[in-house]
Amino acid sequence: MEKFGLFLGCNIPFKAPDIEQSFRQVFPVLGVEPVDIEGATCCPAWGTAPSFDLTSWCAISGRNIALAEEKGMDLMTGCNSCFGVLSEAKHFLEDKERRAGANKLLEKVGREYKGTSDIYHVTHVLHRTIGTDRIRESVKFNLEGMRFATQAGCHQLWPSDVYKVSEENPFFPTMLNELVEATGASAPHYSRAEACCGMGGMRSTDVEKSLKIFKDKLLSIKEETDPDAVVTTCSSCFLQFDQAQKMLRDKGEIDFEIPVLYYTQLLALAMGFDPSQVAAVSTTDRAAVIAEIQNPARQAN
Amino acid sequence: MSLKLKKENIDEAVRTIMELGGKGILNCVQCGACSAVCPGVKAGFPVLCRLLIKKLTTGQLEEIIEEPSSWGCQACNRCTEVCPQGVRPQEVVFAFRRYQANEMAISTSTTTSQMNFYETGHAVYTESSKELRKQVGLPEAPPTTVSDAQGLKEIQTLLENSPMGELGFF
Ligand code: SF4
Ligand code: SF4
Repeated sequence: MEKFGLFLGCNIPFKAPDIEQSFRQVFPVLGVEPVDIEGATCCPAWGTAPSFDLTSWCAISGRNIALAEEKGMDLMTGCNSCFGVLSEAKHFLEDKERRAGANKLLEKVGREYKGTSDIYHVTHVLHRTIGTDRIRESVKFNLEGMRFATQAGCHQLWPSDVYKVSEENPFFPTMLNELVEATGASAPHYSRAEACCGMGGMRSTDVEKSLKIFKDKLLSIKEETDPDAVVTTCSSCFLQFDQAQKMLRDKGEIDFEIPVLYYTQLLALAMGFDPSQVAAVSTTDRAAVIAEIQNPARQAN
Repeated sequence: MSLKLKKENIDEAVRTIMELGGKGILNCVQCGACSAVCPGVKAGFPVLCRLLIKKLTTGQLEEIIEEPSSWGCQACNRCTEVCPQGVRPQEVVFAFRRYQANEMAISTSTTTSQMNFYETGHAVYTESSKELRKQVGLPEAPPTTVSDAQGLKEIQTLLENSPMGELGFF
């Protein structure tokens, strides 16, 4: 079984641990063993060290990567921010002086960044290592007739030159759509497919601006695809779609709601895992879409 | 005289940004491709990408120190992807943010994250996560620094020995 160091980040283990549970249940069945990286920290998030000091950022990200290097593994993370931050840190650590500076800091804690481990997103492992055929064979419920709007998220797409795997056209991403289609469901394109959801620095700096961007995107999804759910592979996008819809409803700006699932939650449900473990924590109600996914009539045999 | 001052200002602004990580700033030809795809600009944070670079390359580093736009940057790198000149505008935005942060012109939103980061090793952390984790069948704490005293010590040492240690967050 192929092994990947599982880099959890913060959002997933603390705010949406049902996503973590979906990783732990889905991957081994698909032939990938997620291995814990003991003592890992925050990637560190864009608003922390990267906003203050480049070398300390590289040392902190470098330490997280070094923990995987010590196990001889590549890292896999389900958080787009972690994927972006760790990949960008690797890009800065290619600079010899920067690397020397970061390693000088790391010496104080007995670690060294060598640059031998690569950073992958959960999407990449599912799409490239496992493949859509294997996913198609593993689902117990066929989701034919269901429709999902996909949200890949910024930090999985740009800048494509620092990522180990990238989309053929990052302004027209297709990997997540193909993963959704492997469950039998459809994943139609919509005009704002690559638009930003407004989470991140924007949300913490100015909620109104963030909601404005989010609403544009949400209306495009609703009007053009009217999906059973939004499916994402970014934990920040997940939290924004899940929570900001309520904010817009409370303000009287929208009169509908669309449930939200992280992709491995959709997959775990389609594989027959227990919703109370793999899809249990949300603001926007997901009961109806979960029941439809695990509708006994969808079971092949 | 004023022209000379201006040149000094420009040199200093550009040097500062380059030292803080915005190495490509001088390659900018002000084409505006970056701003056209920037969600921050779209949301109404105007001083990002092209305009930020314009202000910096005309020596206005200090004049815009309180400008909140940089803190609304999503670090999404759409700008970096489309820039025909290899400027990597996101790196310039973050270099400017570092300059602001070091002058304590920071967004209040970062303070809690910094403190969480030092105390737990995570920028985002809540005590209520223990219950949530148990509810979905996971151990109370993930195998990260929240359950690894040695790992937490390491991250605190790194933070204490970084310039962030001098800013008084922890
Ligand atoms: S795309 Fe590049 S060259 Fe054009 S304005 Fe932006 S930073 Fe300057
Ligand atoms: S990284 Fe920042 S400046 Fe660049 S496009 Fe994204 S939000 Fe705009």
